[in-house]
Amino acid sequence: MNDFGYTEEGKIGSVGDFRLWGRILIFCASYRVALSWAVFLSILVTGASLVLPALMQTCIDRYIASPALSPLQRIDGLWRIGSWYGLLVIGIFIASFFQVVLLEWIGQSVMHLIRQKMFSHALELDLPYFNAHPTGRLVTRLTNDIANMTEMFTSVIVTVFNDLLQIAGIMVVLFMLNGKLALLMSVFVPLAALVTLLFANLAREQFRAIRSQLAKLNSFLQEAISGMSILQLFGRQERSRMVFESMSGEYMRRNMSQVRLFGVFMPLTDLMGSSATALILWYGGGEIIRHELSLGQLVAFISYMRLFFQPLRELSQKYSIVQSAMASAERIFELLDTERTIALPAVPVILPQVKGELCFDRVSFSYDAEKQVLRDISLRVPAGKTYALVGTTGSGKTTLVNLLLRFYAPGSGTITIDGIDIAEIDQEALRQAVGVILQDVFILQDSLLANIIMDTGSSRKTVEEIMEKTGMSRFVERLPSGLDTLIGEGGQELSTGEKQLLAFARVLCRNPAVLVLDEATAAIDTESENILEQAIADSFRNRTSLVVAHRLSTIRRADRILVMAGGRIIEQGTHDDLLAAGGQYAELVAMDLSQSGEQEAKP
Amino acid sequence: MKNSDSSPARGQKTVPVGVGLNRLLGLVAPVFRQYWLRILVGCLSLLSVDLLQLLIPRVLKRGVDALAAGTSSPHALLGLAGIILLVALCVNCLRFVWRLMIIGFSRIMERIIRDRIFAHILKMDALFFEKHTTGDVMAHVSNDLSAVQMASGMGLIAAMDASFMTFAAMGFMLKINVLLTLLALLPMPFLAVCTRVLSARLHQRFASVQEQFSLMTEFTRSTLISVRLIKAYTMEKFRTREFDALGRKYVRSNLRVAAIQGLMFPIATLTGNIGMLFVLIFGGRLVIQSRISMGDFVAFISYLYMMIWPMMAIGWVANLVQRGLTSLRRIHTLLTSGSSLPDTASETKADPSFSLRFLSFSYPSSTAPVLRDITLEIGPGIHGVAGRTGSGKSSLCKVLARLYPVDDGQLFFGGLDVNGISLNSVRSAIGYVGQEPIVFSDSIRANIALGRPEASREEIEAAARSAAIHEDILTLPAGYDTLIGERGVKLSGGQRQRLALARALLCDRPILLVDDGLSAVDVATEHEIFAGLRNQLQKKTVVIVSNRVKLLSMTDHILILEEGRIVSDGTHDRLVQENSFYRTMYDKQMHQEDFQVTS
Repeated sequence: MNDFGYTEEGKIGSVGDFRLWGRILIFCASYRVALSWAVFLSILVTGASLVLPALMQTCIDRYIASPALSPLQRIDGLWRIGSWYGLLVIGIFIASFFQVVLLEWIGQSVMHLIRQKMFSHALELDLPYFNAHPTGRLVTRLTNDIANMTEMFTSVIVTVFNDLLQIAGIMVVLFMLNGKLALLMSVFVPLAALVTLLFANLAREQFRAIRSQLAKLNSFLQEAISGMSILQLFGRQERSRMVFESMSGEYMRRNMSQVRLFGVFMPLTDLMGSSATALILWYGGGEIIRHELSLGQLVAFISYMRLFFQPLRELSQKYSIVQSAMASAERIFELLDTERTIALPAVPVILPQVKGELCFDRVSFSYDAEKQVLRDISLRVPAGKTYALVGTTGSGKTTLVNLLLRFYAPGSGTITIDGIDIAEIDQEALRQAVGVILQDVFILQDSLLANIIMDTGSSRKTVEEIMEKTGMSRFVERLPSGLDTLIGEGGQELSTGEKQLLAFARVLCRNPAVLVLDEATAAIDTESENILEQAIADSFRNRTSLVVAHRLSTIRRADRILVMAGGRIIEQGTHDDLLAAGGQYAELVAMDLSQSGEQEAKP
Repeated sequence: MKNSDSSPARGQKTVPVGVGLNRLLGLVAPVFRQYWLRILVGCLSLLSVDLLQLLIPRVLKRGVDALAAGTSSPHALLGLAGIILLVALCVNCLRFVWRLMIIGFSRIMERIIRDRIFAHILKMDALFFEKHTTGDVMAHVSNDLSAVQMASGMGLIAAMDASFMTFAAMGFMLKINVLLTLLALLPMPFLAVCTRVLSARLHQRFASVQEQFSLMTEFTRSTLISVRLIKAYTMEKFRTREFDALGRKYVRSNLRVAAIQGLMFPIATLTGNIGMLFVLIFGGRLVIQSRISMGDFVAFISYLYMMIWPMMAIGWVANLVQRGLTSLRRIHTLLTSGSSLPDTASETKADPSFSLRFLSFSYPSSTAPVLRDITLEIGPGIHGVAGRTGSGKSSLCKVLARLYPVDDGQLFFGGLDVNGISLNSVRSAIGYVGQEPIVFSDSIRANIALGRPEASREEIEAAARSAAIHEDILTLPAGYDTLIGERGVKLSGGQRQRLALARALLCDRPILLVDDGLSAVDVATEHEIFAGLRNQLQKKTVVIVSNRVKLLSMTDHILILEEGRIVSDGTHDRLVQENSFYRTMYDKQMHQEDFQVTS
């Protein structure tokens, strides 16, 4: 669909990619009024700046240096032009200020728009995408790539537009003054462009070299600081110092070559300016001798030439910013063009009141087309019943949960809730009907209450009632300020058990028809465990529940136990049935018991 | 912009005052002295550039005057053009020279200070790193250092250039007309003040943009990293709304920066133009009144142009220098903060044993001691240490490893007071496995051989086998050459711990301190590892901190710590009988009911 040659590192954006510019412009469309104002202000400022020298010239020619008028008239005229000059100067000041702020506002707003779009797009992508793409790279898209583009928008477009306008304006004035001389001067434009391009490319290379060395240096330093005691205990100081100094030296050398590069290129624009002046003096002077040019014109030529090289120099510095911004733009649009691999239903079925009958019908699945993780699983959980999944790591328990939540689509077979294929249900509606408690918890940097309520809009009272009813108020009371305790980074640290309790509270607050629990494998403190046990007992009652179970107490509570191995359900039944059958389940239990038995016997 | 303004204004509140400027500059003065020739050449080139630049208008004036008088010839013009070109070429070369000399010098100085900081922190004790977090030190080495570099590079240049140009231009102007000069310069101090005020504020606002940016980055990262949870809880819209709010704040902080940028350059233009206006009106009057000549008037205008940039530069330089000094002060504080561990040169070979006599220790951050009156002999054999979180087990290990200071007469190594012998003579006798295993971004081989880089392949593998990590390593893509750490393969917590153990075993030092070093490894494996090491360890002095009864039961002697005191000690069997804490722990761990099907 798109043929952008996508590479992460060292991709140089093409400044002349019109399709890309077009897409950027689409985002700007809603700011077209503001944009036209900005352009208008730009023209105003540039125009006025070019008028100033002319005004000065007129003043000199007409009043200061015209002995024909009486001194009083001359001074009068001086004041008149002077006040115009003053007005213009203040006008330029005000217009420039508004132009800068306006453009920044537009640029930032457009980027905000793109960023929001990317963020919600990224969240809509499905898990197969996230598995295939490292998170760090996605974060870079949303932050650094956007920042790159913003930089182009605000600092570059403003100046580039102004600079180009100024250069064009000056060229027009020069041609009006003297065509031949102006033609001669225009030789400098391609020359300057060439120098600019060369410099931009070389500078970018060096910049990258410096950056990567700095990153190396910093990560070495960071490691050294955080592992300092180990370095000291193992007597590595001298060695580390040597490594650091050689890295630091390399960083300095790379910086030095940048200094040299800048040293060569930066003065070049001035050299060109001076050469232009010399050329004007020699050729223009000759024209004066040949009476083709007036002295005043020559002086004007020289002063305009000075204005001409300033923007050229600016442009050369901005060029590389535009390049990297275009590369960022490509990556951004590439992300925006990425489509989900799991198709959304075209016309989602509206879920009626969910009763909660779950059915897996001949479901098979593999993550990477190589290893089959689920093989032909058929399973029916009647509404209101609790089923427990047990099995060793890699037997497919968690995958079953992943499919039920439609994080992944089954390779073959269907999964239904109350007889409706979950592929036909809107994903949000599905995930609201199926409440999950996963092993790890996402904690917002906020109060416990806010962490429980999140976006459900429940009141504090409802939460308190739920906590009271499920015995979880004991958990709340343990925290220093109850429901108002701040948790997350910088707040109260929650233990593994408390995190599971929070996840429980969250789900209960949403009152889902189906409950899926992935029990924590890590040991949790006894007190949390007691509370958790009651909460589990309470919330499983009359609710369809599927538990990836690790605790005997939970397993015993289940109406049915499913033992999984190698992606199949190999045994099912109640705890007692399965023990009596003496199969895999009995073996698992016996193994565990014998282990603790050995421990008991040992001392 | 990326270099100068992006450094956040962190720590600006905590600028230590009272360090004299002399002592501060004493930090950099030797570097200046060492490179005096370089600086001199740079400064001379810079001044020559300025002088030569003043020459070009004069050559031009001669040409124009000759043209006006009609005495010019194409040949003479060519000569003048040639002179201009020649001067321009000289300027070009000299500019290259001063850049290379002075900016190059600032880079050299940056390197010298950086290396000095690193050499300094290598000598610091654990207390230092509690006071200065990793982030702090990193900030010193990056932001503060670059502020100093900017001040001594571009700052030096701009200051010199600006003052020279100002004086030169002012001199020429004064020669033409004193009153007019004063009038024309009237707005200039205003520009300097404005630039100073605005660029200081700009710096602050940039810092807040930076802060917003990192908030947004962190938000994005934490969201995307747990995208499965976000989706499971259908929090997509909720998070998008929050992100929107963050984004808006970011836009606002950017606009605050833009407001200043929108003022700064237009103000420069404004002041320049106002000066020009004064010259036009009052200078024009002077011309009309025939008090100055027309040529003087035109020259005056060009001199005024010359002064705009230096005036802006003065405000800018003032900020640069101030920021540089503030940063230098912070670096100075870092470099002068000493280690509280006395280190003498006397290398001693002593018996690998510790004796503790009424040893007490407290962290400076808190008043309550973490170790109280501990009297203890630690000789050959395996010693176990148990106790609740915060009972002082880790602190004991760290004090023994000489990471923290102790008072005289409390800790003896091989019969000698540790404060009287070098740190290295104690540390080089210790193999240490900490709670948090540290791995460095390097190959697995190098990580294990950290303490003995010269170790042979067989020795390394033997150590890995003893720590039960060999098999794990073989499953990695490049075996022992696999890169680990930040950019390499991520090892699990248990693997990292076993690697840290292998590292200590390879050193084969007479003392081994294991501070809860295998907590992420399951009980059975831990037991196996130590059972395998038993013979090897029996001859050494070993201290094992753990709360795992199974491991403790293998030790010869167990200490129970409570609030920094030894409350009980003895063999495993005795403690099971006599100590209630140990007994409870024993009961709990031995009669676990947990149905751990997964391993």
